[in-house]
Amino acid sequence: MGKSKQTGNHKSDKKKNIAKKWKTKRRTRDLDQIHTDMKPETVAKLLHQEVDYDVTGCAQHYCLHCARYFVDLRSLKEHFKTKVHKKRLKQLREEPYTQAEAERAAGMGSYIPPKKVEVTTQPVEEDMD
Amino acid sequence: MRIEKCYFCSGPVYPGHGVMFVRNDSKTFRFCKSKCHKNFKKKRNPRKTRWTKAFRKAAGKELTVDNSLEFEKRRNIPVKYSREMWDKTVEAMKRVEEIKLKRQARFIMNRLKKGKQLETEEAIKEVKKNIHLIKAPHAGKDKQLEDKMVQRLQEDVEMGDDDD
Repeated sequence: MGKSKQTGNHKSDKKKNIAKKWKTKRRTRDLDQIHTDMKPETVAKLLHQEVDYDVTGCAQHYCLHCARYFVDLRSLKEHFKTKVHKKRLKQLREEPYTQAEAERAAGMGSYIPPKKVEVTTQPVEEDMD
Repeated sequence: MRIEKCYFCSGPVYPGHGVMFVRNDSKTFRFCKSKCHKNFKKKRNPRKTRWTKAFRKAAGKELTVDNSLEFEKRRNIPVKYSREMWDKTVEAMKRVEEIKLKRQARFIMNRLKKGKQLETEEAIKEVKKNIHLIKAPHAGKDKQLEDKMVQRLQEDVEMGDDDD
């Protein structure tokens, strides 16, 4: 299992509203959904969205792998350097878990090891004029 | 009616039990108990969670590839009822289960053999390293020296005999 992901219990703001965070109505995109997002046709659509004033940064700066909007290009680039983003890339390198795998694990068929997927940070377009 | 498998722990979900979560892309997830549901909400990976079947298979703790695992499957093909076939299927299920259990048990016993081997190796190593605690380094040295002396004296005596 490796090292625990827990980073602190008392002072961190992350743990303030844990029950709210886990509510299904606040559910963020799952890894398998992001895997479908990573298909070329959807990538183009997600990275070039129309201006939407209700979304952070008018939906112009989207991180595909973390499924997050950023205010501007600078903060997006900063985000690419962070641990959260790199950890997410690492998680995405393995084929997503499916119900079929759960059934195979339960004895319905032999085990098939998950495939590795090549995942790299999306290219940043420099022309912002 | 069908006994579904839990998305998280691969346990059986009987009709009327557990929870089904339908994601906003209409994909369904079934959970056998609230523990599994909570872990799913925390976005834990079943492959990395030690108590799930998926982990045990991925980590090589259990029998993974075997022909006895190929019988139980979701076939989605309607079969016309015939009493004879039904009887035979029930018989076969019992036999397959028996073989499967036997093979799984054997796999685990073989897996545990490795640990025993490592244990003995480790024990031998430890004894060799700490032999001075069992046997003093100079124990029996006196006797050895005495024997050597006696031998040398005898040789001397023999030499003396030759000279005369």
